[in-house]
Formats: sequence, C-alpha cells, structure tokens
Amino acid sequence: MHIVVCVKAVPASTEVKMDPVTNTIVRDGGDAVVNPFDASALELALRLREERRAAGEDVRVSVLSMGIPATERLLRDCIARGATDALLLSDRAFAGADTLATTHALTCGMCELGMPDLVLCGKMAVDGDTAQIGPELAGALDMACVADVRTLMACANDAVTVRAGGDAGVSLVEATLPCVLTVAKEAATLRMPSIAGVLAAEHATVDVRGAAEVGADAARIGLAGSPTQVVRSFVPEQQAAGVEVSGDAIGQARQLVRIIGEVA
Amino acid sequence: MAAIDKHAGSARIVPLTREHDDYLHDESRSHGEAESISFPTTEGEIRAVLRALHAAGTPVTVQGARTGLAAGAVPHGGHVLNLSRMNRVLGMRRDDAGAYFARVQPGVILSELRKNLHARSFATEGWDDASLQALRALADAPEQIFPTDPTEASACLGGMAACNASGARSYAHGAMRQHVNALRLVLATGDVLALRRGEQRACGRHLTLVTEGGTTLEVELPAYEMPACKNASGYFVEDDMDAIDLVIGSDGTLGVISELELALVPAPAVTWDVSCFFTVEHDALDATVAMRHELGCAAAIEYFDGAALDVLRRQRAESTAFSSLVEPPADAACCVYVELQCASEDEALAELARLGALLERAGGSAEHTWVARTELDREALTFFRHAVPESVNMLIDERRRIDPAITKLGSDMAVPNERLHEVMDLYRTTISEAGLEAAAWGHIGNNHLHVNILPRSAAEYAAGKELFARWARAVTDMGGAVSAEHGVGKLKRDFLEIMYGYQALAEMARVKLVFDPRGQLGRGNLFDEELLDSLRQAGALDGDAEKGGA
Repeated sequence: MHIVVCVKAVPASTEVKMDPVTNTIVRDGGDAVVNPFDASALELALRLREERRAAGEDVRVSVLSMGIPATERLLRDCIARGATDALLLSDRAFAGADTLATTHALTCGMCELGMPDLVLCGKMAVDGDTAQIGPELAGALDMACVADVRTLMACANDAVTVRAGGDAGVSLVEATLPCVLTVAKEAATLRMPSIAGVLAAEHATVDVRGAAEVGADAARIGLAGSPTQVVRSFVPEQQAAGVEVSGDAIGQARQLVRIIGEVA
Repeated sequence: MAAIDKHAGSARIVPLTREHDDYLHDESRSHGEAESISFPTTEGEIRAVLRALHAAGTPVTVQGARTGLAAGAVPHGGHVLNLSRMNRVLGMRRDDAGAYFARVQPGVILSELRKNLHARSFATEGWDDASLQALRALADAPEQIFPTDPTEASACLGGMAACNASGARSYAHGAMRQHVNALRLVLATGDVLALRRGEQRACGRHLTLVTEGGTTLEVELPAYEMPACKNASGYFVEDDMDAIDLVIGSDGTLGVISELELALVPAPAVTWDVSCFFTVEHDALDATVAMRHELGCAAAIEYFDGAALDVLRRQRAESTAFSSLVEPPADAACCVYVELQCASEDEALAELARLGALLERAGGSAEHTWVARTELDREALTFFRHAVPESVNMLIDERRRIDPAITKLGSDMAVPNERLHEVMDLYRTTISEAGLEAAAWGHIGNNHLHVNILPRSAAEYAAGKELFARWARAVTDMGGAVSAEHGVGKLKRDFLEIMYGYQALAEMARVKLVFDPRGQLGRGNLFDEELLDSLRQAGALDGDAEKGGA
C-alpha cells in the first residue's frame, strides 16, 4: 500500500505576517511548523502502516509538500518520525498559488511519487483555513473524498471505514480505495521521533523538484494560474476601548442601563 | 500582640481572620496558626511592620507564593508577613562584560519574570535611567533567561532564594545561590543589611557585617563541613565564604529578603528534550552514570520510575484533563529524561548520537526514545513531567478523604555521584520490606530523587515517616544531604539534627540569634523552638543574647 500525506508549512505563531503588496502570507521559513491538522494525518498513516506491517504487508508512507526550500527541514522531521520518503515541490513559479493552483502542483507531485492508494490531508490549514485542498485533490485525482475524519476505524485492501464529522453530527462512512481523507486534529497526536529516527533522517534524501521537473502546466500554477485572487487581507483593527464601570452596585447598574440605552 | 490594627507605613497589621485561612498553609499541606497578617508592598513597609512587632518579640513568619514543600511559610503563631504584593521588577543592569541583571522584589513570580524576559517587556514605572538604558540594550541582545527551574513556576523569587531552590536544570546551572548577585535583608529590628556577592567575605569562619543602621554583627560560623552534593540543609558555611551565601537557603530565619539582584544568562541556541525508556531500572542508573561522563550539553538529567509511569497511565485513562498526555510505551519500566542545551543544531545532533550510542551500551535503545525538538513536542514533555507530581498529589488527596491522617510524604535527599546505585538499592529494599507503595522521580543527574510514599492508611503513613528517618541516617552515612532543594523548613528539622548533630545545630542557632536576637523570624524553621529559647536564656545569663555587636 502507498499512502501519501500532504503537509503544509505554517507559521508557528498565530500572528501571521501579510505581504502588503500581494496580500498573500509571508513565508520566510522562520519558525515554521507542520500544520497541526497535517501532523494528525501523518500519525494516522504511521499507525496504519504499523497495523498492516504486523499483518505482513509493506506500506510506504510518502510526505508531499509545496513550499519554500526551508520546508525541506520539516519534511526531514516527518521522515524522522517515521515517513518513508518525502518530496518537496519548490519553485518560484509555484509562489502565490490559490487552492486550485496548489492542487494542480500536488497532483503533479503525486504522479512523481507514484499514484497512492490513500491520500491523507489535514482537514484545513491553520493559516489559510480554507479546507479546500483535500476535496479539490479528490476531484483532480478522480477519487472519493471523506472530510473531517475523526477516527480511522478500519482499512482493508479495497476500502476504508472512518468516523467523520458533518453538519448532522458524526457519521460512519466507508469509502472505496483509492480515496482522499481530510483529518481532524483530534484524530491523533503525532508521535515524537526517536534518536535513531532523527539520526537516520539526517542522511535521508528529501527530493526537491521544480515545476518543470514534475511536468506542471505553467498556466495552472502560482499566482498567474490562480483563478481566485486575494483583494485585500488585514488584521481587524481594535474597536473602541472598553468602558470601565465602577462605584457601588447601584451606581454600576445605573451606568450599565445608560450604556445599553445608548447602544440600543 | 502589641501592634494589631495599627498602621505600619501603609501596610496594615490586621488580625488574622477566617478570610485569611489560605495563609495558614502552604503546598506541603501543613497547617499553622497566627494572630495577625500584613501585606507590605515596599521595603519601607516591611521595616515598619518589623519595627512594630520587635518590641513585643512577636514571632514573624515570612511568606511568598506558599509553594514550598517543607512548611517554611506555615506560621507558628504571631504574625504572617506576606510578600506576595511585592511583585515588581525594580530595574535592570548591564555590566561591562555585557551580562544582564534583574533587580526584583521578593514576591515576583518566576513565570512572570520568564514572560517579561521572553517578551523583553517590563512595567518600567519608577525605573532609573541606567535601568531603562539596560532594557533598551536588551532589545538588541540575545534573549536572556533566568536559568533556575524548580518544577513549580508559580514560586516566587524571594521564596526560591530563601530555600535555595534548584530543580531540573541545576545539573548544569547550579541552584538559586549561583544566580543571586545581591540582596537586601531586613532584620527583625527593622534595620537593613545590604549584601553584594564578592564584597563581604568571612575570614576563615568568622564574619563581620555592618548594617545600614551602623550595627556591627559578629558572626561565628558553624564548624561543620557541608556534603559534596546538592544541598539545601541548614546554613551554607565554608571557610572564607561570601556573606550572601549564608542568607540564601536560610529558610527565613535570619531576616526578610526585600530585594534581589538576579544574574541572567543568554538563552541556549538549541534546546532539545529526550526521554529515554528502559525495561530495567539498573540499566537506567548505568545510563545516568554514562551520561554524566559523556554528554557535554546536558542541562538536566531527570528520572521517572515505573510506579510514576503507572500513575501517569492511570491518570491519562481516567481524567479528561490528562487525556492529551503522551502515553509512555507499554513495556517501559522507567524513563530518564535529558535536556540538551547546545550552541547549534550540529552540536545537538552530535550529542544525540553520543546519547544514542551510550543507551545501546547501557541496555537501553536509541529506538525507545522521544526526541522533542519543536515547541509543541517540548510542551508535551513538559506536561508529561509536571503531570507526575500533580497526579501523585491528587492520588494522596483522594486517599486523604478516606483517612485524614494521610498526607504527602516525599523525600528530598541527595548523595554524592558514586553512591547513586547504593542509595537506589536502599530505597528499593526498604520500601519492599515495609510493604509500602511508592513512586520516585526527580533529579537523578544530581543523585537527588523525590521518593514519594503513597500511604493507604495512617499506619502506612507512620511507617513511611519511620522509613524517611532511616534513610536520613543512611544518606548521612553516604556523605549526602537530607534536603537537597526544598529546604529544611519545619518538616525536615529532625533530619537536620541527624545529618549534622546537636552541636552543629546549636552553632547554627547561635548564628540566627546574632541576626535575630529575640528569635522572632521563621520560628520552627530549622530549629526546635525549645533549642532556640534555651540558647537565648543561656545567652541572657551570659549577657550576650541581645548583644549582636554594636
């Protein structure tokens, strides 16, 4: 079985820096971490491999990312934690991609890695919050998709059974392989690497490929290949300062009545 | 009680009522009693309170955050001087070599200081120009930290100095003592002694100090030799010692620390935490010895035994608050945790390779390890470490509900390096013979474990106490210390006599009476009150009890 886990580098801090000109997130590689939802997806893949290995089957877990060269460090960390191999799509031509252009790049990456039986993505990324990559990948690869997977119940050679969230609550879903699952954070906590894993990963090869090397269509990648454009991004400005209500209880109650009256 | 309801500066001395019940106990779960309480906010207010209480010789117990484990802050009658409102950072200094120092009031909480340092942001109201200049320089300097790391980050810095707190990173950075550069001590009379490292030294075992009020204190230091291991048992004394070291670790018995100047250090470039699991405890001990020899960047070497891991496993399964704990491997019988602080990732990788190799030789495995390199992973391991004592406390509280006589019983003893295996054999054999349940964890790099008896009945609690006395004698015979970091307080007083003997205790008490002739401060800490009173009486007969010098 071949599982591909898509991972994205996101800022470690929740304070995202925006480029005032392009209105896209500034990704300078400083303090980047693997998107926490993607980390849960990787852990599910590693558990699945352990289960199937115990049954005598060899499972390959590849990690795939599109990002700046510094993302290689994060992919090496994924290998340290147990991933078999990693591919980083890195090229200036990929920069400024929306979810559709990112999907095209990742699809090309999948072809490079070899078509998977199972694709695992985080449900969403903590910086962009779109939750679109998984479903779009399923569309591009013509696979079934189950979003917001909370529990991976079972995985056979031809189907996977999961508990997944939805508007009506949690459902038990069976999907035919190959398929795409997008994973909720609570599905699993990514394991830590061992000393042996860290040292081995230092000598592992993280493949880094450009757009042309993976056969990406230049018209479908990067800012130019993105049908959606961010017109403006901004940090909401602080609203008017709060009003302190003080004094005795009756005085405070009167002040509150007056304030509510002014607002109403 | 002469001074109740009177003003002492703006710090009122008020009767202690039921609303102050919290101030009658600390984290040791011991309870005391007192008649009055005050909450000074400045050194001037401390002085006014002490002056008001001195005439009647009212006992005074100093409190900070009440996180102590030896009952040092639990009052034995008299007045509670609570310093929790003295929580301001007063200034900053940068010396010619580029080292930074923070000047703090004693009630500043460690976690708050850490936050301030990380953000390089302080409330600077009242700071002098030199401090503001140092803060501006800090903005462009490498991040600075205060390295002392007792597990309890809500401890206050005055309390940490009073008991010479240390914690995990003392393996590399030493205890609190090494990081206190200066302090101000208000004496029971309200006079002040200002001490700066390097400026007031003993001549052999004699110390002459002059207070700001012009009083000369002639101090004959005790003759005992301290153990060659981590130690917070009684007064620090050695030939030609620095006077500041006598105050650090004195358990609030000599005076009230009103200000501290703390030496800061640059934050390490790379910090990685590694948990190493073993199936046999003896292998973990061998690995610890090898780590001490072979690792150059270890800042902490910690230990969790099988019972501690089992408590965590149970807690994780039964409590939602602990459900996000990382689960120890099923076959792990114990864990050695190492914090590596390195100058670069390359150095950290080389250290990791050395650690992996030594684990394989010691019977462990480079595979059975967790390496935390990201903030998220490091936070998970911090939670793991802190959950052990918290879970044990919860377990004890649960058992206490069934039998109120049961309370926490945790050891704090350390031995020299070559005695690690011997002391562990002692713990294992005696616990097994007594049929007690126990969990051990702590600072194995310093041969300093907190062995916690988990009594199921009052009888087991009594048996545990007997066991501790037996360990105190054995640890003393090994050249160890009965208290390595919690201080002696009131709970380990009997062990101090086992460790040093009555004569040394009397010598310590005489030192106290030079600083505090009426024996007002920290009554019940270090010394039995009868010993102090008898020495005072004898001194009065000799005409020197209130001498102190002049």
